[in-house]
Amino acid sequence: MLFAQLLANGLQTGALYALVAAGFSLIFGMTRIFHAAHGATFTIAGFIFYECYVVLGWAWPLAALASAAAAGLFGVLLDRWVYAVIQRHEGSFFTVFVASFGAAIVVQNVISIVFGRGMVTVSTPLSKSLEIIPGLFIAPIAGAVLASAIVSFALLQWLLTRTNLGIALRALGENPALIEVYGLTPRRLSQYVFLIGSVLVVPAAILTAATSGLNPSMGNHVMLISIAATIVGGVGSLKGAAVAGLLLGLAENLCLAFIDPQWSEAVTFVILFLFILFRPGGVYGRATVS
Amino acid sequence: MTTATASTSANTEANATPAKHAPQEILLEIRAVNKNFGGLQAISDVTMDLPAGVITTLVGPNGAGKTTLFNLITGHLVPTSGTVHWLGKPLKGFEPWQIARMGIARTFQDLRLFNQMTVEENIMTVMERSSWLWQGGKEAAESRVTEILEETQLSEKRNERAVDLAYAERKFLSLARIMASEAKLWLLDEPASGLDPRSFERFVTLLRHYAKRGITICIIEHNLDIVIQLSDRVAFLDQGKLLAQGSSQDILKDPHLAAIYFGDRS
Amino acid sequence: MACTVEQQFLKEGHNIIAYLQNIAVLFCINGILALTLNFIMGYAGIFSLAHAIFFGVGAYATAYIALNFSDSLLLCLLASAMISAVLSMALALPALRVRGEYFVAASLGLQVIGVTIFSEWKSVTGGLGGMIGIPRPNLFGYVFNNDTAFLALALVILLLVLGITALLVRGSFGRSLMAIRDSESAAQTYGKHVNAVKTLSVAVSAGLAGVAGSLYAFYMSFINPESFMLEMSILLMAMVIIGGTGTLFGPIVGAALLMSLPAALTYLPFLPPSELGTIQQIIYGLAMVLLMMFRPGGLVGGRTKGKAA
Repeated sequence: MLFAQLLANGLQTGALYALVAAGFSLIFGMTRIFHAAHGATFTIAGFIFYECYVVLGWAWPLAALASAAAAGLFGVLLDRWVYAVIQRHEGSFFTVFVASFGAAIVVQNVISIVFGRGMVTVSTPLSKSLEIIPGLFIAPIAGAVLASAIVSFALLQWLLTRTNLGIALRALGENPALIEVYGLTPRRLSQYVFLIGSVLVVPAAILTAATSGLNPSMGNHVMLISIAATIVGGVGSLKGAAVAGLLLGLAENLCLAFIDPQWSEAVTFVILFLFILFRPGGVYGRATVS
Repeated sequence: MTTATASTSANTEANATPAKHAPQEILLEIRAVNKNFGGLQAISDVTMDLPAGVITTLVGPNGAGKTTLFNLITGHLVPTSGTVHWLGKPLKGFEPWQIARMGIARTFQDLRLFNQMTVEENIMTVMERSSWLWQGGKEAAESRVTEILEETQLSEKRNERAVDLAYAERKFLSLARIMASEAKLWLLDEPASGLDPRSFERFVTLLRHYAKRGITICIIEHNLDIVIQLSDRVAFLDQGKLLAQGSSQDILKDPHLAAIYFGDRS
Repeated sequence: MACTVEQQFLKEGHNIIAYLQNIAVLFCINGILALTLNFIMGYAGIFSLAHAIFFGVGAYATAYIALNFSDSLLLCLLASAMISAVLSMALALPALRVRGEYFVAASLGLQVIGVTIFSEWKSVTGGLGGMIGIPRPNLFGYVFNNDTAFLALALVILLLVLGITALLVRGSFGRSLMAIRDSESAAQTYGKHVNAVKTLSVAVSAGLAGVAGSLYAFYMSFINPESFMLEMSILLMAMVIIGGTGTLFGPIVGAALLMSLPAALTYLPFLPPSELGTIQQIIYGLAMVLLMMFRPGGLVGGRTKGKAA
């Protein structure tokens, strides 16, 4: 039964990771910006939801909307005010990465000043675990997690394949110069990418708030997972990042059956390290990268 | 500080004239080389000689395999079959950096200068083949650097970063690097494209000067005027095959080749 | 019973000197770390987030040897340097195969794995509790119990590392590094043995970081994984970036600046003392963002990044 429990936990964690990783992969794949502040977006989304729902007492849809607005705004503004400036004059990957990192540090610490360094949780009627079968505890919220992940991905898929915007966005990833031929600007599209990528984390953030709780440094772990999932899944492949996120969540939980919990994070990184050494293109990418 | 001690390092060779090979002595031999990428035959059965002191130009339409041929010589690509011999030694199995140290050097179409380094550093780092700390003959090295800077008219720009140079200057720096490498075989990929007439004259003079000193030069070039002015011999490549080689007059006057070059394959 | 004013004054004077000495030793250690990180980041273009791990390896190596075998300064410094250099091959491997984002991710992985090993390999590292009671080093019979003497030692080593770095960077090895950074394919074409150069530079960087770790273990007499976590790697990266990558003195300036920040902050009355650490982080986070936007070369480097020393 332990195995089934770990599996269930793993699926839940994995679904959340898949969402966040997909957001990062979308941004990185399409703009080639190593958006190390993506974890900060996740933290902001979670805490804004907490503030609105628990502290201000808003209804949860409203709080969710506020959370999405905050996350989206953060992503877009960072792109507009910081990344755009850097890309205009020099824009090497490292400069952007460092700026992104700096932003993440600032966000993490501001949040810890405002909300304190400890864990805060959001309790909802769905949070309480039920014993489905003896030894297996699942909270209904797990169902909400899976459902929202599936819905989000379906929406994303529709957006990218059926709408003009989506098609333009995919072109951005392949050939930015081509965009201008069609009268669009890469800058403008890049902002849409950041908007979508940032909003993708919102369901994950809200559900994390409701299940394991929030703390200001949770963005770090999520960021690391996103990077790992994006690379393991294959840069430029959303499907890869999502699947890799799911698998990493599963691996993180399942290996608890065999080894100490402290090693679970290391396991993720051993996997990442091996991929980078032997197949940096990831599962869905090319075998080698230049 | 130190008097020039009898050092056998490569740097003291810098001021001596390079070992002379008999004119027309064959230094690079390409024999029946094939290169296959998956299903794509990039180079088919190419046999070619590059003699000392001769400027050979490789011409052909885009995608003919000219740069691939260069890569096969420098070791960046390995032939599927066939051999490449340099000074009688087969190049098979050697890494690009080892082949470079045997005396083969190339330039790139996109230059690939060491952008953040100064002109002087670009030249010095090429002269310092190995990466070890102490090299003999420091004074000899410095005077060679000055000499190269004068020949390429970059003396004024000695301490400028490569990225800050003008276009023609960057082209000449690319040439300066290969001059500094003391290589006997120069593979130049479109070295003169975009040069104004005066710079081009300087460029031709410089190349002929080094050819006379016994350097083997092979150039990829698209501009036929340049080809006519520069080359002693021309080799025509199309779709990986060597269609013809001979004096520039013979090749360029051939109507059949001209038709292929300008896209008319009948 | 009560101290005279004179005694009180002397005591406070001693306290200030002790405080300054303490900062100075830590500055030397951080300076060495920043210099060695800049060696691979600014000159070789190898952006590593795992530098704290080599710091840690050096510290644990010295601690283990000093506690179990010998407190000899030379032996421990050498051992720390060697062990760090050998283990740095784990970082060199990805450095040879991938660049840019991929390498950063690999180094990040190494950092996380390293901390986990520090925390879990209880028999050697003492686990989360760390190792205590590390003695002061012994050089031919002289034991550096005196803090001022230790500071002198730290300064000497800092100067040595500075000298070694300058020698390497301003000579042909440095040019090879920068050539590889600027265009690896061209460097190879002109005879540079890229793999050997990269591996060597990673080894030197890690080995000297190990020396810093050795000093740290001797000085603090107590080490645990907390000093070697991702936060430390990021702090070091911030020092290098803010001071200026690819310059010889930039990292030292960066180290000095970032270390004086906590002290400077205590003098601002309106800041709540409990939040000083957080505010410090906000300041250097902001500094990183603003510098990258307007002055990517750092304080010493200026507008241009990666300029030769």
